[in-house]
Amino acid sequence: MSARDPSAPPGGYAGQALIVDVGEATATTLPLDEAVLRGYLGGAGLGAWLMHRLAPPEVDALSPQAPLAFVFSPLVGTPLTTSAKFAVVAKSPLTGMLNDALASSQFAIAGKLTGHDAIILRGQAATPSVLLIDGPHPQLIPAGNLWGCPAAQAERALKGRLGNGWRIAAIGPAGERGVRYATISHDGRHAGRGGLGAVLGAKNLKAVAVRATTKISTADPEGVLAAARELRARSFGPATAKYRELGTLANLLAFNAISTLPTRNFTAATFAEAPQLSVEQLRELRNSTRSGCACCSIGCAHIYRARDGRPARVEYENVFALGPLCGVSDPDDVLAASARCDELGVDTISAGGTIAWAMECAQRGLIDAPWLRFGDGSALLRALEEIGTGRGLGPLLAEGSRRAAAIVGHGSEEFALHVKGLELPGYEPRTLQGMALGLAVNPRGADHNRSGAYEADLSGDYDRLHGGDAQVAAAVATEDRAAVMDSLILCKFLRGVFEHPYQEWAGLLRLVTGWDVDAAELRATARRIVLAKRMFNLREGWTRDDDWLPIRLLREPIRLGSGRQATLTPERLREMIDGYYAARGLDSQGRPKDRAVEDLLLTEGAPR
Amino acid sequence: MAARVGHGSASGNGSAGVVLAGGRSSRMGTPKAALEWHGSTLLRRTLGVLARAVSGPLLVVRAPGQALPAIPPGVGVVDDPEEGLGPLQGLAAGLTALEGRAVGAFVCSTDLPFLHPGFVRRVLDALTGDLDVVLPVARGHPQPLAAAYRVSLAPLIAELLAAGQRRPAFLLSHPRCRTLRLGEAELLADPVLAAADPALESVINVNSPDEYRSARMRPAPQVSVQRFGVLASNGHPGPRMVRAATLAAAAAAAGVALDRHVVAALNGDQISRDGETPLTSGDCVAFLSAEAGG
Repeated sequence: MSARDPSAPPGGYAGQALIVDVGEATATTLPLDEAVLRGYLGGAGLGAWLMHRLAPPEVDALSPQAPLAFVFSPLVGTPLTTSAKFAVVAKSPLTGMLNDALASSQFAIAGKLTGHDAIILRGQAATPSVLLIDGPHPQLIPAGNLWGCPAAQAERALKGRLGNGWRIAAIGPAGERGVRYATISHDGRHAGRGGLGAVLGAKNLKAVAVRATTKISTADPEGVLAAARELRARSFGPATAKYRELGTLANLLAFNAISTLPTRNFTAATFAEAPQLSVEQLRELRNSTRSGCACCSIGCAHIYRARDGRPARVEYENVFALGPLCGVSDPDDVLAASARCDELGVDTISAGGTIAWAMECAQRGLIDAPWLRFGDGSALLRALEEIGTGRGLGPLLAEGSRRAAAIVGHGSEEFALHVKGLELPGYEPRTLQGMALGLAVNPRGADHNRSGAYEADLSGDYDRLHGGDAQVAAAVATEDRAAVMDSLILCKFLRGVFEHPYQEWAGLLRLVTGWDVDAAELRATARRIVLAKRMFNLREGWTRDDDWLPIRLLREPIRLGSGRQATLTPERLREMIDGYYAARGLDSQGRPKDRAVEDLLLTEGAPR
Repeated sequence: MAARVGHGSASGNGSAGVVLAGGRSSRMGTPKAALEWHGSTLLRRTLGVLARAVSGPLLVVRAPGQALPAIPPGVGVVDDPEEGLGPLQGLAAGLTALEGRAVGAFVCSTDLPFLHPGFVRRVLDALTGDLDVVLPVARGHPQPLAAAYRVSLAPLIAELLAAGQRRPAFLLSHPRCRTLRLGEAELLADPVLAAADPALESVINVNSPDEYRSARMRPAPQVSVQRFGVLASNGHPGPRMVRAATLAAAAAAAGVALDRHVVAALNGDQISRDGETPLTSGDCVAFLSAEAGG
């Protein structure tokens, strides 16, 4: 490792971000101080810092002034497995709070090699456009007939038009229409949660295309290569076997067996028809292929053929949300719905959650849609179509369950299953009470990728039906780990590979950057990132009441397959939240203390 | 309707479990708590069965200074203030330690190798608001060391002990102690218990080496095992029936290892990777990947 030129950015970084105003067709460079890079790493962490700096307070998420950032990371471009990831960060149109959504692909590598640690978009193009970036001077071209196309189709067409080397992140029709849970996708992978596709669409951008034009070196290339070889070898071990061999859909039958598979809008925790949707069944009956993201040795993506022959990427979350949550058991319907979500560019969890809410509304006679029944696959597909086209119930359902329930009223808010507006993933909080806390307090809303508190519930070390101190500790620990992994960035499916995660991550970061970073520093970094997210939300109007769960989960016990009732009382949840605030050094209202805020590098005059 | 204090209370102030381990084991010749039971111990098994049936704390009452075999984390240990005063003394120590932490407790000796959680639940469920003791009468005898007691009985028991009345019968016949005797027919009216333990072997205790050997030679309980996800990718996922007295034995029969990548769900309810977790007849064990990311 040679001594570094003090004027050069640290290894793994460009040391600057590009800010593009697509309305003015101008671009500026934002230098990024090393203290900020070291303090926030990249990805979701650096994205949080950028939003503090660049998003006007209380800005409408879909207004031209709202920034949208593609944020890369120090590990991107290295041979470290699963590191080809980027974070898309903005204020969410679904939650009104900070949102970061991750995706993996060559877009991450090419985007970083435009010479920027982040690309931030502001403004609104005059007409539907595509933004091209391969250096400091971006270019807008008309989207033309790409507007209205599925994202994958637009991506293929643009590649043909632009030629080799360009990598494209695009939105589908849902993003163009402002569906509040629209995604941004590349290579069939989605930056899925929180509606960032709608933010890009609001800027009149169909796609962003990037091309590598520079190189970014690491501090110790040989050390990085050796570490990459070793990590790759470990990635073939038992910790990733589930993802490699079956994919995340392996959760379905297992979760059903332990009564944590949310069914029919969280009115049950088991689904009798679950075996029909299981990976075990699909593998028997369907052709499947397996693929992985760029630079990934795990290869978790399992793709099956829907009834009409269209490929559908099958994950636990999309099958849960479009299957049991809506009571739909026909695998053809679920695969078709999943493929349609990909084409429209909508988050499957929020789509399924919102449709399940609407099904219950229809069942109760609160909306005039007698066709929309639990268990009816054709109704599910019709609802998705209406969301994508803006017809029928589409405009209502495009708002997500929280806003839609506020419109419909008549008590429908009580069975809108969201936290902070983000629909719940497929982890039943009443039977996973550590996860209940994780879902309640996470800055992004109800999300299983930013809190892994379910690990404590499923560890066998604690009573998953009785949340307490152990679950509080687990919620804090897994949230911290996620903050670091989402900022380095490494795929969380790799987490089981690390026996001493902070120590091992610090080792990787040392090799890439040349910093003398250690485990203790990374732990402090994790806490800083989590706090910065909370601070952003506080600025946008968050109150303690937002750290809470839907009433249904606190009022209605759920019956386990064993016959036992699982109950999560408001008192128990409040106790856990109080414990979480205390563990994070927050006051009783969930607000940070002054000294902690000083560490966030957010004040005027702090490094940029 | 009378208030129920049996298992399942979500208040955290419901039912507790107490194992009296301080007996002299004079006929056995060795402390019964530490007797081997299918790779575990009798005390560990009894505590594991109680843990499956109660919602509140678990306690072991031992003689002063008595060495105990390993017990699961979270189990409290209470010392008898004085050795050799009999089970009523242990009962008083246990109930006193539970004051403010539980309403009722299933109290048993450590030597019940066939105790079933269904039996514990059935007895606790009968401890309704106007009762102080639920006393099973099974296999021809009252079973005060496999019975449910209201925690608030502690002062009365202390009075009896102070008066030299050390046998449980003094408590059970006391006018201030409202006791419900549950006969076999009443016990077996519970369909869960009737299916799991029709002969009420839950109350069989082992007092001598011969009784222990005889009990130990009986086949392990018949349980169903099922493997999910990658654990099922090599072979048949099940379910299939095996004989196993512990989770470790069930894992071995299913061909999986309980390591940091694997957990087991018992009857779709409790999750564990503790190999000594006791199994009882009719249990269903699901082995799952510990990697639950989705």
